Amino acid sequence: MIELRDIRKVFNEGKPHALTAVDGVSLILDARAVTVLQGPSGSGKTTLLSLVGCMARPTEGRIMLEDREITSLPERFLTDVRRRTFGFIFQQFNLVKGISALENVMLPAYPLGERHASLKKRARGLLDLFGILPRESSRAEWLSGGEAQRTAICRALINDPKIIIADEPTAHLDTKLSREFMDIVGRLKAEQKTVIIASHDPLVYGSSVVDRVITMRDGKIEAAGR
Amino acid sequence: MGNWFERQRNIIDFTLSSLVRRKGKNLALLLVYTLLVFLLASVMFFTHALRKEASLVLQGAPEMVVQRMAAGRHELVPRRYLGMIKGIKGVSGARGRLWGYYFDPVMSANYTMVVPEDHPLGAGSISIGQGISRSRLARVGDFIPFRRYDGTPMVLTVREVLTTGSELVSSDLILVSEGDFRKLFGMAPDLYTDIVLSVRNAKEVATAAQKVQKLLPDTRPIMKSEILRTYDTIFDWRSGIIVVILSSAVLAFIIFAWDKASGLSAEERKEIGILKAIGWETSDVLLMKFWEGAAVSLSSFLAGVLFAYIHVFFTPVMLFEPVLKGWSTLYPSFKLVPFISPYQVAMLFFLTVVPYTVATIVPSWRAATIDPDSVMRS
Repeated sequence: MIELRDIRKVFNEGKPHALTAVDGVSLILDARAVTVLQGPSGSGKTTLLSLVGCMARPTEGRIMLEDREITSLPERFLTDVRRRTFGFIFQQFNLVKGISALENVMLPAYPLGERHASLKKRARGLLDLFGILPRESSRAEWLSGGEAQRTAICRALINDPKIIIADEPTAHLDTKLSREFMDIVGRLKAEQKTVIIASHDPLVYGSSVVDRVITMRDGKIEAAGR
Repeated sequence: MGNWFERQRNIIDFTLSSLVRRKGKNLALLLVYTLLVFLLASVMFFTHALRKEASLVLQGAPEMVVQRMAAGRHELVPRRYLGMIKGIKGVSGARGRLWGYYFDPVMSANYTMVVPEDHPLGAGSISIGQGISRSRLARVGDFIPFRRYDGTPMVLTVREVLTTGSELVSSDLILVSEGDFRKLFGMAPDLYTDIVLSVRNAKEVATAAQKVQKLLPDTRPIMKSEILRTYDTIFDWRSGIIVVILSSAVLAFIIFAWDKASGLSAEERKEIGILKAIGWETSDVLLMKFWEGAAVSLSSFLAGVLFAYIHVFFTPVMLFEPVLKGWSTLYPSFKLVPFISPYQVAMLFFLTVVPYTVATIVPSWRAATIDPDSVMRS
């Protein structure tokens, strides 16, 4: 369970071009459920997602991860929480170009010091699970949209996180691939993973696997979707 | 420990594949870097080896040499001076030396002719250095023709080819008997080139020199320590000239390296952002950049030092020979014996590898401290 208490995030605080991206959000996100943050561009979905995923710190407020306050943790501990608890799927997939799909999947686990052979075995297992093992040695830039997305999902899962965070995951996919993605989300949910998605794609927030849709506008919660 | 090792291994693995991805840029850097280390190491090896050769020459040199001067120039010493010097208190021994230079127009080379003290030679025989043996293709038993002072020919037989630890000592050397020397140069039997003397107490060398000058005002005593100092000054000065010339190359490299290392491309910045977003700590990114800098600078350093070693000790040192050896263009060519000072290699290491590695890490550190969510916002 993740609890957000009165979260506020201001970019360029104290400067003339200061921007309040999230403004006083309090929320409880259930574990082992699929939650979608929905709203127009600039509504604060992505910022809220990055705060939940320990990628940024709120300007004000507290975030509790399973009763542990994580907002005030030093960077090192925060990174540790992030890499052991969260798996990220980005809008542009953000695969590292020039290296293979397999290496991309292994990348988040490199600093953890797992034996190279066993890490490789796990990464290949994930690629196999998502049906892209034949493309393991293809460079990231040679993968099709669907392959890149599945590689990004494998990368998000390599450290076996409890929570998957996805930011506009279907923005660059056609309808068929978007549906496939939601099927994968359903599989992750079945595996007891918590999934939090930011999206304004009706295929996502209208999907049957979604448990809750939270609507945001101007950095605030418009509808909490209970 | 296993974890630590695997972490390093995984990160090095990724670093190497990163370097290969940008191979054009990194290869250019590697080449320029190697060239710089090669030039610096060549100068260092070369001057050090020359200095070492010179100190070997001087190891067996006498404590003091007395030369006679006439009108400010070196003049031959009469035999009677020898007796007078031997009479000075504190002087334990003195002997007259015969040596000079012979220019060989066939080879355009200058030979040093010496009458040895402890190497008796029969009339008509000579011992030659390896440089002469090589250039004149002369072996034991061969004849070498010389031109006497009056233009008449004189043929001498090679009895031995000299071998010593330093070619600088013997490369251009010809050992000849006293009689043949005097015949060749037309030197009267009561004259010597100079006088060498030994002093009973090493601390009194300077006092003995003063006494010599007082007794024989037209002479110039030269102490071993003075010769050593002059050699050092000459080699330091020569290598100084090269270093000044090279400093512009060093400066150009620093600008190039700084630009390469500090100017992270937008792609590299984005990559650092991705790594942070997927769970890398700032220290992991820095470790990767450290290995990247170390891989480039260490391989350039090793390649540069290796090429310099080959250049200095196994080729004719084409780049610096005229400046560093100076007058030796008249010599028959001599090969340097490889001497390397670990101190100099360590200094070169700290002057090249360390600054580059730091220059790679500092800008990455700035990039690595960005919030990982920048990837989500881009």
